[in-house]
Amino acid sequence: MSARASTAIPGRAVGSKQTTIRLRATADSEWIKFRSVRSGPAVLIATLLAMVLGAWMVGVGYHGGYTAADRASFDPGDVTLRGIVVAQLLVGALGVLTVTGEYTSGLIRGTFIATPQRRQVLAMKALIFAGVVWLWCTVLSFAAFFVGRAFLSAPVPRVGLGDPGVLTAVVGGGLYLTGIGLFGLFLGVLLRRTAASLAALVGVMMVLPVILALLPGKTGEVISEFSPAGAGFQIWHLDHSGHNLGAWPGFALFAAYVAATAAAAFATIRRRDV
Amino acid sequence: MTPTRRAQAVLTTEWIKLRSLRSLPITLLVAAVFCIGLAALVCSNYATHWNDVSASSRATFDPLTINFGFLRIGVLFFGVLGALVVTSEYGNGLIRTTFAATPQRVLVLAAKSALLGALALVASAVVCFVAFFAGQGLLSGHVPTVRIGDPGVLGHVLGAVAYLTGTGLCGVFLGALARGTAVAMTSVFAVFLMLPVMVDQLPHTALWRHTVPYLPSNLGESMWHSHTADLVSAGSAWSLLALWVVGLGTLAALVLRRRDA
Repeated sequence: MSARASTAIPGRAVGSKQTTIRLRATADSEWIKFRSVRSGPAVLIATLLAMVLGAWMVGVGYHGGYTAADRASFDPGDVTLRGIVVAQLLVGALGVLTVTGEYTSGLIRGTFIATPQRRQVLAMKALIFAGVVWLWCTVLSFAAFFVGRAFLSAPVPRVGLGDPGVLTAVVGGGLYLTGIGLFGLFLGVLLRRTAASLAALVGVMMVLPVILALLPGKTGEVISEFSPAGAGFQIWHLDHSGHNLGAWPGFALFAAYVAATAAAAFATIRRRDV
Repeated sequence: MTPTRRAQAVLTTEWIKLRSLRSLPITLLVAAVFCIGLAALVCSNYATHWNDVSASSRATFDPLTINFGFLRIGVLFFGVLGALVVTSEYGNGLIRTTFAATPQRVLVLAAKSALLGALALVASAVVCFVAFFAGQGLLSGHVPTVRIGDPGVLGHVLGAVAYLTGTGLCGVFLGALARGTAVAMTSVFAVFLMLPVMVDQLPHTALWRHTVPYLPSNLGESMWHSHTADLVSAGSAWSLLALWVVGLGTLAALVLRRRDA
């Protein structure tokens, strides 16, 4: 065995072992950076407040004010998970800061000197970010659902996790927020500056729908349907009437937008200044 | 140094810094193009698609409201601009020199907000009046329009100007409270963009009527919007928005004296 190792391709055997060690070291250092950046835990707590207080606010809002007009457009997914509207801004900002914070402080130079394999650094960063955010936001999504539901009493229809589409919407809330966070993270790689990346993320996900809603006729509706926000919203809503995309097709399109941004980030990260 | 001399010196310093802020001209230009362009786009769309507009939408159609719909987004530019005036200085560390030169920190904040307020007033007046005349011009001939002399119209245009200027000032104070660009920008977006999406469409219960109309975004709506069912009147909205600005300013001034730069 030692003969094989010494005569055949020692470089490769050592190389693959080195890759494993390096990946583990990169994962370690990215994890340390993620939890030691002050904004990380703060934003995750703020997300908790947004989701749970949002569900409470909206639940209380429907208390005793349920009219025939509300009945026609009532969507229990939209009502209990409405906190996502604010939480997406927070998680998206955290994604942006995970990258741009390192560019601003100059730490990125140290990172890339220590690990010149920049794509591995980015992959680890995204993986750790996505893992933590997905776990946390899925928990919050369930919490928001149960808190919001507790405040809905007759005549407001009350739904359970077993009702059609409900589990998809609640699980989808966590997936949607993770997608937004990754979108922010990859935009941060592309733009490298906090203000610009944040403006780009908010522009695409939150401002574009408002602009499209101002336009009369079909044009705005059609663009809105296939825009990242319009597609992504489908997964945590139960009422898909008037939309071409359902929960999962909508989410797939949203994920495709994020994947395209990721591809651009991986393509450019090797070539640009730090 | 006499207080007058000091105030003059601080104003001059702040003016130089404001003028040389790299993101200022580009943000103002983008804001103006965006706001006027969006007003023109919406109005020309209504003019060409008037036949497709449903009867119910026609019944509630208001030329001023669709013309000024851009304010829901335009307000973000002014809020972010105000925040950047403060946070950019924290970002590059210049704030330490500023406070070493002028330990009267509240005076520095006052000078910053006075200059940004004046700039925002001029910029928003240009944006709102140009958007108004361009929008109504594009609508005329196809769709009902209003003129600046019609009752209440000038009041709404001035309300829009005041709303944008007030938001710019709120941005300055949020920037002083947050100190970091990311936190300040996120706060502006949360208060003026996401919070309205979350609560505006809820049933208008007694609780709703006692809270939601007093949000800055809805006070702004009262000032420029013509259909303001369940919102506060335009007259009280002016003073209540001023109260928000003064409140945030006081809070920022108190906090600024106690924290490190």
